[in-house]
Amino acid sequence: MEHRLRRSWLLTPASSPEKLAAAIKSAADVAVLDLVEFVVERCKPAAREHMSAAVRVVEAAGKEAYAQVDAQLLYADLHASVWPGLAGVVISRAETTEQIKEADQVLTHLEAERGLLPGTVRIVVACETARGNHAAYELATASRRVWGLTLGRADLIMDLRPEPSTEIHMMQYLMQRLITIAGAVGATPLGAWWRAPDRGLLATPDNTLQAARRGRAIGFRGALCVREDQVSSLNQGFTPSPDEEHAATRLLAAYDTATIAGNAVLRQDDRLFDRGTARCARSLLDLAAACKPPLAMSS
Amino acid sequence: MPIVTQRFVDNAWRRNCDFITLDLEDSVPRHLKAHARSLVKDAIPNVAKGGADVSVRINHDTALADLNGAVWPGLLKIRYPKAESAEEIRAIDDVITRLERERGIRPGTIEIGTGIETAAGVAHAYEIASASPRIKEFGGGNGYDMSCNLGMEMFVGFDQFIYTKGEVELTARTLNMAPVRTVPFVINRTGNVKDGDRALREAVGALKCGFRGSGGGLNPAVVESHNKGYTPSEDDRADARWVLEQFRKLDGTHESWLEIDGRVIDRYEAALARETLAWAAQCAARDEEKAAAVARAKSILAATTKIESAPPTGDSKKSK
Repeated sequence: MEHRLRRSWLLTPASSPEKLAAAIKSAADVAVLDLVEFVVERCKPAAREHMSAAVRVVEAAGKEAYAQVDAQLLYADLHASVWPGLAGVVISRAETTEQIKEADQVLTHLEAERGLLPGTVRIVVACETARGNHAAYELATASRRVWGLTLGRADLIMDLRPEPSTEIHMMQYLMQRLITIAGAVGATPLGAWWRAPDRGLLATPDNTLQAARRGRAIGFRGALCVREDQVSSLNQGFTPSPDEEHAATRLLAAYDTATIAGNAVLRQDDRLFDRGTARCARSLLDLAAACKPPLAMSS
Repeated sequence: MPIVTQRFVDNAWRRNCDFITLDLEDSVPRHLKAHARSLVKDAIPNVAKGGADVSVRINHDTALADLNGAVWPGLLKIRYPKAESAEEIRAIDDVITRLERERGIRPGTIEIGTGIETAAGVAHAYEIASASPRIKEFGGGNGYDMSCNLGMEMFVGFDQFIYTKGEVELTARTLNMAPVRTVPFVINRTGNVKDGDRALREAVGALKCGFRGSGGGLNPAVVESHNKGYTPSEDDRADARWVLEQFRKLDGTHESWLEIDGRVIDRYEAALARETLAWAAQCAARDEEKAAAVARAKSILAATTKIESAPPTGDSKKSK
């Protein structure tokens, strides 16, 4: 059972110490030091140089540090990123099992060389291309390090634009496909149900909150974002609301009474509840408890 | 269009279509199927006079006989409906290969367009799409036949094909094919095939969504709506040029994006703008091509009419 919360993943360009300073002041659960999407090509060598200091800064701020690395530049990006304190890597534009296996091997080597506990650096696979999504199951099972799956910035990378309904083309299909695969392999699906005009993980704080709520409703557990003002929306959206918590508490009390009386099914208002719904209510309360600040700190 | 309705076929070149599909399938009654096959050879050059690319839609169950009737010079594509397996596609490819050699068509020119319209087709989408190099575009997973096959209703207020369309489009994109981008979902409760206004709304929405062509229309009344809706407007082009101008401001900076009035300008937005301009240029070139073809066809027609309307010599009966 994992207690650490990973609701909000704030991407911050590894090339910019000022942006990093702002990121660690935010309430993000995870800071993702980016070497791919927000670092222009000619700044990449310098950004890689910053990585070891950046990982220390993030860790000192009490956040988890992840690095976002390029699936096609694994060797350089991983060598730059894997330092004590790094919790994991997001592999952007992952497409083949060979890439995941290569990442696994390089991580194993670097963990040994740089004094990290073996096997501790996690992998989040970002399926951001058609090939990556098509192969998502194979990618997710290519290494035991794979902890999470996300669509990342697939809307931009696959050029998926808004439909007249404001849904982003193909996204409902891709989200459900990814969440199902994540469930099948025991990985955590990360994402939010963005709608136009949201693009590339960027949205207003209010739209981010709605996207996170919709995302949680279809099985996502946390999401990536780009700006500090989106962070608290993600935290809120992926935390059960007081109303939900209250309803779950009430349901469980009634359900326990009913089972003691020998009933398997409970009628409350117009709805029927059974073991399955009680289990859902319990996990909602577990999540709500984990989201409460004092408990989160002690875990 | 049903190939057996001669006035449709004779007037097709005047409709300003980019594509014309001569149908041997569902719009042709059973007792006319053999007759329909005999019409294809002459109909191809006839409907192509206005510059349209010509396809023939054959029947799934009589593919061999239909291919014999349909594969002639001038044909761009065989549309094979209700594709369900890679074996079917390979068999059709073999027949086309033989007919191309027999009939003096450059080997490999004729494309195969597959319709994915059944559950089996969706389940085998990847194998079907990779079964022949003649398949250049791939799409489907929606439409009347798909809804019948799955026991769905066709005209409902929500998108009932999210999964089936998604499987098919993900396949096309994974294989780097141009997805046949039919219309994105727009509520349609009537199924009226002559509604030019709705066709225009759908086409404009589809263009914004990145689609590059309709799945085809069933009535000439929608052709202009499709042409107009899928062509970037002057506003679209001006906006694209503005985006590229803003994007150049990032040159030499350390920033990967900038924001103007809440709008993000980055490499993705720039790529989209470039693509819009390229597509607009392609549309303009295609319009010129068609206009030239129509002008040619009209001048030939005028010349023929002159000869025909010359004073009768002897027999006063004229053939029409």
